[in-house]
Amino acid sequence: MSETATPAKTDQKRAINRLKSMYPLRNLVQQDYIDTLNASNEGKPTVWAMLNYWEGDLPLKAMGLNIVYPENYSTLLASTGSAESFLDASDSDGYPTHLCGYGRSTIGYSYRMMKDLNGRIPPEAPLGGMAKPTLLLGSGIICDARFKWFQALGRYFDAPQWVLEMPMMGTAEGTEPDLEGYQIKFLVRELQAFIAFLEKLLGRKMDWARLEELIDLAVKIHETNWQISELRKSIPGPMHSTDFWSSMPPSLFFAGDMATALKLYQDMLAEVQERVNNKIAGINYPEKYRIVFSELPPWHSLKFFDSLAEKGWNFVFESRGYHAPRPLDFSHVSDPLEKLARLSRNFIFSIHPCALEDGIANPVAEVYLQTAREFKADGFFLHPLISCRAASAGLRSVQDFLMKRLNVPTLWVEGDIIDKRVFNPQETLARAEAFEQTMEHYRKVRKAQGLDW
Amino acid sequence: MNDLTSGPFFAGIDIGSTMSKAVIVDAQGSMRAYVVGQTGAEHRLRANKVMEDVLQKAGITLDKVAYIISTGYGRVNVPFADKQVTELTCHARGVASLFPGVRTAIDIGGQDAKVLRIKDGKLIDFLTNDKCAAGTGRFLEVAADTLGLDLNEMGRISLQTDKPVRINSLCTIFAQQEIISRLSEGQPLPDILAGVYIAIATRVVKLARQLKVEPPVVFTGGVAKNAGMVKAIETVLGTPVLVPQEPLITGALGAAILAHDQYNRLIKSGEYDAHREKKLSEARIDFGENGR
Repeated sequence: MSETATPAKTDQKRAINRLKSMYPLRNLVQQDYIDTLNASNEGKPTVWAMLNYWEGDLPLKAMGLNIVYPENYSTLLASTGSAESFLDASDSDGYPTHLCGYGRSTIGYSYRMMKDLNGRIPPEAPLGGMAKPTLLLGSGIICDARFKWFQALGRYFDAPQWVLEMPMMGTAEGTEPDLEGYQIKFLVRELQAFIAFLEKLLGRKMDWARLEELIDLAVKIHETNWQISELRKSIPGPMHSTDFWSSMPPSLFFAGDMATALKLYQDMLAEVQERVNNKIAGINYPEKYRIVFSELPPWHSLKFFDSLAEKGWNFVFESRGYHAPRPLDFSHVSDPLEKLARLSRNFIFSIHPCALEDGIANPVAEVYLQTAREFKADGFFLHPLISCRAASAGLRSVQDFLMKRLNVPTLWVEGDIIDKRVFNPQETLARAEAFEQTMEHYRKVRKAQGLDW
Repeated sequence: MNDLTSGPFFAGIDIGSTMSKAVIVDAQGSMRAYVVGQTGAEHRLRANKVMEDVLQKAGITLDKVAYIISTGYGRVNVPFADKQVTELTCHARGVASLFPGVRTAIDIGGQDAKVLRIKDGKLIDFLTNDKCAAGTGRFLEVAADTLGLDLNEMGRISLQTDKPVRINSLCTIFAQQEIISRLSEGQPLPDILAGVYIAIATRVVKLARQLKVEPPVVFTGGVAKNAGMVKAIETVLGTPVLVPQEPLITGALGAAILAHDQYNRLIKSGEYDAHREKKLSEARIDFGENGR
């Protein structure tokens, strides 16, 4: 058990000790929805974009476009308990229930908007809803759903579609040193074509100075986030996963005004540093177990984490895939598109060489082995998602590697990002209680093996 | 058993989704009595009833019971329990008390199936099926209803063949339709029944293999009472399984043994009297003539 400072009396009502600096970051993404609605009302073009690991976000922003992310909006639908009616609408339009939950909820949203309401925003939509798009930007990164879903959305809207691609990832072959140059060239060509498309669509030229400014901000935002992640290795863990999830959109999507986001992340870094200095935990209970969460959380049931916090479960870290990658040295790169290409590629390719060095060919497992060691994890909470193959397919392998290499046990809890009908919080809490015995057992096993946690 | 009047005794109560079980153990940790009954909708009433019945069977009164642990889905509805413990922990403890060298336990209940890895009597890992009734006792009940058979009879008939038909449906309801289709095709009843057992066993063994099954393997839960199911599990697993004399009560037995352990801890630390006083002041339960 690690040492934890006594929580302030005023915070004792809440099991999770939320960071104050998280709230303005959370609000920043909400402002994006409002700004996009206002832009739409003024007749300005608006974009629905897929998370594209920054390939597309920055050129769009540099051209002054307002962007919302259906992927992010789906999490809002789930966390506000508004998803079910949109899931039902998707079912009504004939989409199978095993499709991506994010896809289903925004397909349902689009169905409601275009088929039921003649283009008006569904009144039940939280945060005023997503404005009707004038451009759909899909992405080929990570899984096919991410462009097939946008193709499906395109059948509701009379809006042009574009798909950004990334070189092959997830294999050892993709990391051959001589491939890097080709991959960068590929990405630069992707960006050139995308910018040419945007210029034609909007009838105006790219603001290159603005793009360079945004790329610099992006690099700084990621560097700051990386530093926050590093501080989270402290004992007790100073920042709970729920704070990460609430504050990740300005880093993951570059949501909101980026200069503001950078300032707010710097505030967060300072607050986390202060907690580390004073041994203040991310939960208002003594930290009994250090848990790492993977994959995406049950957005509809985040209160569930309070019950675990009350038991001393501190979720000290979560899936690396949503974090800023290790910072790169850009000092030798002057071309803004090459810089942007390297920034995007870094997310996918930064981990694989480490995996190969560690003697395994599975980069996802490597990420979690590193995380378990660095964060001294007592256990992993693995949350395979019924409707997401990409996020779930490798988790069994992760489970095996964690046990075989490090004797770190996993609690396997099936659920979904959107559909709360497939998640059973009560049953999960009962299993969590039993899992404590498992974690205690493997603590002893690791110590007997000479590991230091 | 009825001549036992001195204590202390310890009780475990397992309010499961279908059946409720209660066990009394003595100061040596030996089982003195157990009862099993349907759970129904009223968990609190059922908890009172099984406690009353097990006290009667053991021939003791509640004041002789020094510590009570409740477990199972309905464990929060046992107001007279001193502590609640998850069924996974209790099952592991109960199974290990009956089979001290056990390494793997497969438990199939009315609405769930779980696989436990046990070492030195303690739970070290587990998996449960939590999304589907296929692979649980409910699947068998649906099949029995469809065929108009009782569960024991179904097991006996299935043992008459070594040629199980393949039941492909993963869903309990669709499997029911598939059973009807197989009957109308003229497939022999024993082959169909054996196929039903193999279908359930396949699902559960898949779960078990994720945890890397190590023998000896113990099979518990209400479904383990069924001879057809035992054979199917052994066939699919490829190894013999041990079945307790009363496979339904391992959770309650584990709870009673954990109650015994907890009592000893509290006595040792000098905290028991204060705990008991607090608990007695909270209790509002009438157990009739066996109550305090």
